[in-house]
Amino acid sequence: MFIHYLDLSWRSFKRTPLVSFLMVLAIAIGIGITMTSLSVYHMMSADPIPEKSDQLYSVQLQTMDDGSTWWTEDNTPLQLTYQDAVNLVKAPSPERKVAMMRTGFSVYLDSDKIKPFIGSARMTTPDFFSMFNLSFLYGGAWSKEQEDSAAPVVVISQELNDKLFAGKNPIGKLINLDDASYQVVGVLKHWPLNIKYYDLNNGAFNKIEELFMPFSLIKAKELVSWGNSNGWKHENTPTFADKLQSEQVWIQFWAELNTREQKQAYQNHLVAYMQEQQKRGRFNRKELGYKLRDVNQWMQYNNVVTEDNKILVGLSFMFLGVCLANILGLLLAKFLRRAPEVGVRRALGASKRQIFLQHLVEVAVLGFIGGMLGIVLAQLGLMGVGQSYNYYENLATMDLTMLLSAPLIAITTCILAGLYPAWLVCKTNPAIYLKSQ
Amino acid sequence: MLEIKPIFNALCRSKVGAVLLLIQIAITTAIVSNAAFIIQDRISYLNQETGYPEQDIFKFNVMTFGTDINLSQQFELDETMIRAMPGVVDAALSSSIPLSGSGSASSFNLKPAPQEGLSVRAAYIFIDDHAINTYGVNLIAGRNFTDDEVLVTNEITQKRTNVTIVTKALLDELYPGGDGLGKIVYFGDLPLKIIGVIGKMKGPWLKDSKPDNFAFIPYIKAESYTQVAVRTEPGQRAAVMKEIENAMLANYSKRVINNIRGLDELKNEYTAQDRLMMRMLIVLITILVLITALGIFGLTLFNISKRTKQIGTRRALGARKSAIVSYFLVENALICSLGLALGVVTAILLGKMLMQYFSVAALPPSYIAVTAIAVFLMSLLAVLAPAKRAANISPSIATRTI
Repeated sequence: MFIHYLDLSWRSFKRTPLVSFLMVLAIAIGIGITMTSLSVYHMMSADPIPEKSDQLYSVQLQTMDDGSTWWTEDNTPLQLTYQDAVNLVKAPSPERKVAMMRTGFSVYLDSDKIKPFIGSARMTTPDFFSMFNLSFLYGGAWSKEQEDSAAPVVVISQELNDKLFAGKNPIGKLINLDDASYQVVGVLKHWPLNIKYYDLNNGAFNKIEELFMPFSLIKAKELVSWGNSNGWKHENTPTFADKLQSEQVWIQFWAELNTREQKQAYQNHLVAYMQEQQKRGRFNRKELGYKLRDVNQWMQYNNVVTEDNKILVGLSFMFLGVCLANILGLLLAKFLRRAPEVGVRRALGASKRQIFLQHLVEVAVLGFIGGMLGIVLAQLGLMGVGQSYNYYENLATMDLTMLLSAPLIAITTCILAGLYPAWLVCKTNPAIYLKSQ
Repeated sequence: MLEIKPIFNALCRSKVGAVLLLIQIAITTAIVSNAAFIIQDRISYLNQETGYPEQDIFKFNVMTFGTDINLSQQFELDETMIRAMPGVVDAALSSSIPLSGSGSASSFNLKPAPQEGLSVRAAYIFIDDHAINTYGVNLIAGRNFTDDEVLVTNEITQKRTNVTIVTKALLDELYPGGDGLGKIVYFGDLPLKIIGVIGKMKGPWLKDSKPDNFAFIPYIKAESYTQVAVRTEPGQRAAVMKEIENAMLANYSKRVINNIRGLDELKNEYTAQDRLMMRMLIVLITILVLITALGIFGLTLFNISKRTKQIGTRRALGARKSAIVSYFLVENALICSLGLALGVVTAILLGKMLMQYFSVAALPPSYIAVTAIAVFLMSLLAVLAPAKRAANISPSIATRTI
């Protein structure tokens, strides 16, 4: 029966090609526009590490004196001071935590084969790789001892390894960064990350780093941050040592807390730490403030999905609404014109139910074709988006969820739009049409 | 003449199609007027005057890894070399680049820290006495830095800089009385005498709440990672940009030159998201208007085919072609007016919602009015073609089949 209905739809399609084409076009454009903005939204708001996003917490401490205000919605600095970061990393709990900062070096080898270039680096503690679920192609993270002694070691990205060592195992080899040479201890597997959630400092969609190195090198090499350094009071910091001691915030900090108990314990730990620091004249607010935000909360707090994007999604759904009203009107026109034929079919014994189903199938077919065409249009739209904003290159794609939901949305909305016309047409009274034939 | 009453009665008998059209027109009006307002807002944001000859300025980064030189001496040599290049107007080591979205800001106070007093937030750049000429901005009062006012160092020193040149916007906020030139402003606890005023000069962040508050501070900190700004003669920029890397490396090779970018290019990157939003909205409303026109066109066609006999009969009874056309025009105008009335309300509500949840300004009524008129004209246009076709229906059709 279903096949028969499909056949009937196809015939009806051929009989009124213009109206049918207009309907398909309307659905396709509606779906195309909606899917373009929805895809970008979806990719921006997608959980970057779904397997443990609720176990990774960004740590914020309220370091500001009483009376000072910050621009964030909860008045809390986004990053930590160097001294707090070092103290919290040294603390025994939790098992995994990471302090980090972005910087950069000029990269070159002792041979002349590759022209020196600038590589961006993440100075971090060794837990970084296990916390953010990174895997290694060769080697592994540096050891705790190497971290403590500020050893000149480096983990490089797969892309950098391809560039420097043609993808061969480089473990033990040396690369030059600025004025010193560093030993390669690990090569990461390609890390396809769309949102650089672990450091939203300079653009959520920036490229991830190519070099990963011990955090302790910051002090040893006097490395400056390639991200924001913010202060809330005037401090004279002529030397690097002064900066490390200052209240300036410029270090990102994450803790992995796997259970509710661990989270509670860590909260207690943070409070205890601040109370201890209070004795040295810091954290002088009445209420000790701290924030633990998991990955998704962190992205939301940092407004990774822009306002523009939300407005666009809203407007494009309204747009889809207009397209549907349009289709409903056209369907109504088309179906009612067919009333005489339906009258005859009813007289020949077709049930209302059959007529109703037949028309719904026809509508679903329209929705399907429109949805497919809509995907093509959305791809074109996304290509435009990707080209006009290079940050969006990775985001302007449709993943499987989006590819599947496009025809699904198209068919569902079309069926919804088709319900009324189909109901109207199946109510046709055969008598009238038999008379006039 | 216009037979509104019978047309209205006929409409009431087949409501659904008309209601759908009415909804389409209403939503279209709401979306188009709001989107047009956002588009206009972005266009004026993107085309604002920045104060710089953006097409003639470019920047590049220098990352020095060699340690066998004195950095500040080397940069002096580099600057002299670049300034002598053909086509170059001027060049300067610049701690950050305006319009690029990255830079530094601090509060500028009337009293030295930690004393409390009027405090104004402003972006600033450490640069030398070539700042004004390199960035091509207009000094409207006071004077430029002199050579010996510029502090060049890569060591910690007790010597400190003591003058600054600020934008008029910053000066007026610090000294609203207009007597700020020559007065002191405190950068932390460091007193700086305001010796010059620049008319228009945007800071690093166009989206900042105070994008016009900007200051030059005469200080060159020679670090291994620095940026250089260069202004060229009009039309010469591309050529100089192409040569700059080799020229710099020829001067000293143990360094990396990268991020060679035009000022307009930097601004474009900073505003990419706004341009994207603008384009997407333009596409959205263009297609939306076309779809709505298509809907009106389709529905009129359908009405005509449904009423072929009726039209034929009217023609046979002596109605002129123009009467048939005007019937459809009036019918459409009726639906459209109702739709627009609803659309105006929806547009206002949507505008209120956008204002409440997002940082969108209040929608001016003029946008709604213009949109409503445009939608009305568009709908008349969409009806005209099918209505003319209806007018050409031969009276014989009606008489033949009855």
